[in-house]
Amino acid sequence: MTRFRIIYLLLRLALGGIFIYASLDKILHPAAFAEIIFNYQILPGALINLTAIVLPWLELVIGLLLVFGIFMPGAAALTGLLLTVFWASLLFNLARGLDIDCGCFSTQSAGSASMAWHFIRDSVFLIMGLALFILVLKRDKLSSSKEVA
Amino acid sequence: LESYGEMVRVSFYQKTAWQSLLILLAALTAGLIFNHLRANGIPLTADWSPEARMVSASGHSLVIPTEEARQAHAAGQALFLDARSQEWFEMGHIQGARNLPPEEIEGLFAQVLGDVPPDRLIVTYCDGEDCDLSYDLALALMERGFTNVRVLINGWTVWREAGLPVEEGRS
Repeated sequence: MTRFRIIYLLLRLALGGIFIYASLDKILHPAAFAEIIFNYQILPGALINLTAIVLPWLELVIGLLLVFGIFMPGAAALTGLLLTVFWASLLFNLARGLDIDCGCFSTQSAGSASMAWHFIRDSVFLIMGLALFILVLKRDKLSSSKEVA
Repeated sequence: LESYGEMVRVSFYQKTAWQSLLILLAALTAGLIFNHLRANGIPLTADWSPEARMVSASGHSLVIPTEEARQAHAAGQALFLDARSQEWFEMGHIQGARNLPPEEIEGLFAQVLGDVPPDRLIVTYCDGEDCDLSYDLALALMERGFTNVRVLINGWTVWREAGLPVEEGRS
């Protein structure tokens, strides 16, 4: 139980920190972030700006909830969902050979950092996110059965 | 007991669903309000079509219609610049075009464009609706003083599909 608690806390803080850090530069530079979304060549043009406006705030809100441990089922589910979408977008463009700046943490051009490296890093984040959601689900079941007992 | 487990599961997923919805709404509201209030906010929707994006520093469109490009080519009025890499250029390009990938403009400028007057009509192209190399090249040329630069969107594909003259090898 204690080990679970430590892993749970570490995952929450790590993912929360990652999401908050990732949101800040995008919130500061919405036009540059819109350009990055455009470069992914996935969303229709009409949705690009709205995504550039809302997505960084979604990351910030989720990051804060994770760090403070509030609304955990919702926050952990959205964490998993977002990381899956980011991961799939990178994989999609890796597969079709489109070299894009991932825009994961910064709206500046990443330069030499490779798509493959971004993809491996995103894969690690995704595994962390899914692990967190499973832990939240387990904790919820435990606490519910305790209430009854 | 089994039905109890089922109940817990359902309530967990319900909780997940309404919390997710609330979080999404909070982010949507915060994003829209902040974007509205800030100085460098962006419009909620924008035109991301090539025609709307490929504009000069002063804001006028650089796009040249295929028919106009064809006429300029036939009359020998325009210099065509292929912005793709050398390998692609040698596999096939618009007849008479020269090769100048925008990332190599520093080293190749004098060699490729040393003999070209700045008011000459230059048509840049690459391949694919979303290829920006031709646009990047056009901007770089205008920065270097060329005054009559246009972009033929999806140029290589459009040119071939129209059955217009092409050639292979080095220029």
